[in-house]
Amino acid sequence: MKLILPPGLTKTQFDQAMAAFARAIGKEWVLATDEDRETYLDQYAPGREDSHAAAGAIAPGSVEEVQACLKIANEYRVPLWPMSRGKNFGYGGAAPRMSGTVMLDMGRMNRILEVNAKAGYCIVEPGVGFFDMWEYLRSRKIPLQMGIPGNGWGSIVGNALERGFSPAGDHSNNICGLEVLTPTGELIRTGMGAMEGGKAWALFKHGFGPSWDQMVVQGNFFVVTKMCLWMKPEDEAAISVEVKLDKPADIGWFTETVTPLRLRGVLDGYVRLTSFQATATVPTLRKEWYQGRDSIPDDVVTKIRERFNVGWWNGPIRLSGYSDVCEANLKRLLDGFAKHTKQEFKVTRLAGNAVSGPTTYPLQMVNWFGGRGGHIGYSPVMPADGKLVLEQFERTRRRFIEFGLDYSGTFYNDGRSATNVNLILYDKDDAEQKERVRKLFVALIKDAKEQGYGEYRTHLSYMDDVADSYDFNHNALRKLNERMKDALDPNGILAPGRNGIWPKAFRDQRGKL
Amino acid sequence: MRARTLVLVVVALASAFSGAAMAAAAPDAALVARGKAAFTHRCSMCHRDGGTGTFILARRLGAAKSLLEQRTDLDPTYVRTVVRWGLVNMPRISRVELPEPDMDALVAYLTAPKAPATP
Ligand SMILES: Cc1cc2nc3c(=O)[nH]c(=O)nc-3n(C[C@H](O)[C@H](O)[C@H](O)COP(=O)(O)OP(=O)(O)OC[C@H]3O[C@@H](n4cnc5c(N)ncnc54)[C@H](O)[C@@H]3O)c2cc1C
Repeated sequence: MKLILPPGLTKTQFDQAMAAFARAIGKEWVLATDEDRETYLDQYAPGREDSHAAAGAIAPGSVEEVQACLKIANEYRVPLWPMSRGKNFGYGGAAPRMSGTVMLDMGRMNRILEVNAKAGYCIVEPGVGFFDMWEYLRSRKIPLQMGIPGNGWGSIVGNALERGFSPAGDHSNNICGLEVLTPTGELIRTGMGAMEGGKAWALFKHGFGPSWDQMVVQGNFFVVTKMCLWMKPEDEAAISVEVKLDKPADIGWFTETVTPLRLRGVLDGYVRLTSFQATATVPTLRKEWYQGRDSIPDDVVTKIRERFNVGWWNGPIRLSGYSDVCEANLKRLLDGFAKHTKQEFKVTRLAGNAVSGPTTYPLQMVNWFGGRGGHIGYSPVMPADGKLVLEQFERTRRRFIEFGLDYSGTFYNDGRSATNVNLILYDKDDAEQKERVRKLFVALIKDAKEQGYGEYRTHLSYMDDVADSYDFNHNALRKLNERMKDALDPNGILAPGRNGIWPKAFRDQRGKL
Repeated sequence: MRARTLVLVVVALASAFSGAAMAAAAPDAALVARGKAAFTHRCSMCHRDGGTGTFILARRLGAAKSLLEQRTDLDPTYVRTVVRWGLVNMPRISRVELPEPDMDALVAYLTAPKAPATP
């Protein structure tokens, strides 16, 4: 990838800044060759890869080195985009929002600083991956569990900072204390960590005064250098209930049944239901089923379901905890289902520690079209109400059919809200199809907005569109975020444009791709 | 004195040649071991049995070529290029994730002569 300079910088100024970074952290950790830039492109780019092209990367190895980098970035006005492991596939990978930004790759800071089995937490640096933590727990026989996203290749910190999730729930809810640097380099610990020698940093979220952790999540006000994260003690027992629902409309009664149970704690985490499509995209190629350029028709849907023996909607429900409680909760769940269907649900009893480790297996779904593939997710949050969920599904599927793309949807229910993740798969080398993806995405944002639903997270290319849709009182919240941004980051050097928050220095870049 | 110098030169040359010959036959064991560790740490989540990379390679090249650690046809430049530039659906790996010394070791490991497969 050829160099794209940060807006407003000459090549000489850029080179001077890179030389200053090299003096501060060692030249081997300043990565600015064409090949280096290539390694920070968005692998799944739904548009042009150079819409989000980094000018290079710097990789400090300690808090002090990050501080030194921030100082230099302010001096030379070089925008930096922090990342932990950069496996944010579907949302931008290791790429920045604005081309010319330099990646602040925190991957070298990868120590597991503490794991406390008794109190159920860990303290980690940004570079720690899910695989690293899994290995650490297993090799030391530590009876703790962690939520692992479908793509397990990423980092615990980056994932939580994106508000990533798994069936265990929203991972950002487990953050309990952070160590961060402001864009101007002040080191801060949040919550109880704000006290020198504070003993409850990883135990109590808020400390004294305003609680800052969620200001860091999906923001661009800080660089995170340490994260305390709650983990769950290993369960005594678990029960897996296989849910296979035959008709698309079954999602209505299913939602009405599980929502109150989740609200009352009979179920926990996210109760999820996924459409049939997901079973085919990983192990097979689309052309084995259908050659048309339109959305997969219903007779093919039936064939897929028959071959994999799956429902229209599928999802295991996992009950876990003490075995007597699990059995009682299972009865409540099955009684609830019995009010709507005569169907039998397969029940499997498992050891509490029978949990799956991280995997990258689902990544192969991007091979659906056979060549270089990608995906983006459109994921609005809505009420966990059966009628509304069914309508949302029907409206969304109609849009997929209208734009000739294969529908793949999941609803994650937490008892109050449902997050509706719609997976849009495409062939990166099919420009016409990618244009349809763009049109679908814009239509989905509009549809959801009309219903009063908004996305929980989005790809770099759609951050401004989604931020626009949060428009109460003329986007008053975004204006507040940008006032904060300007106060904390006067030169606008940290992650300009993340989640639609643009600093004064680069505000003219809003909406530009 | 002259004879002694000559002997030393011959000894030095002989050991240099035998060193070179050995390097061609068997790559540095420590380097290969480091490469295996790098593979385990950075590649194995996709490129061992059951992994995404193995699966997609089997689809593209057939099962016999799907496990990288068993391949005998990998060329050093090819390995390097695929790691840094990606291939089809394989994401690119940066110098932070796989620093150059680990890359050298990985290349040595993946291109080292393999013991014949046991039937
Ligand atoms: C097939 C597939 C399945 C997936 N399944 C899931 C899933 O189930 N759940 C899910 O949540 N995601 C899922 N993902 C998306 C993504 O791969 C994961 O969320 C992944 O963990 C994110 O990458 P990362 O952890 O390396 O984060 P990074 O890319 O390192 O970070 C993400 C972003 O967080 C911010 N950030 C990171 N580190 C810092 C820091 N130190 N300081 C300040 N800001 C920082 C930056 O804005 C950065 O761009 C999936 C992706 C694919 C392709």
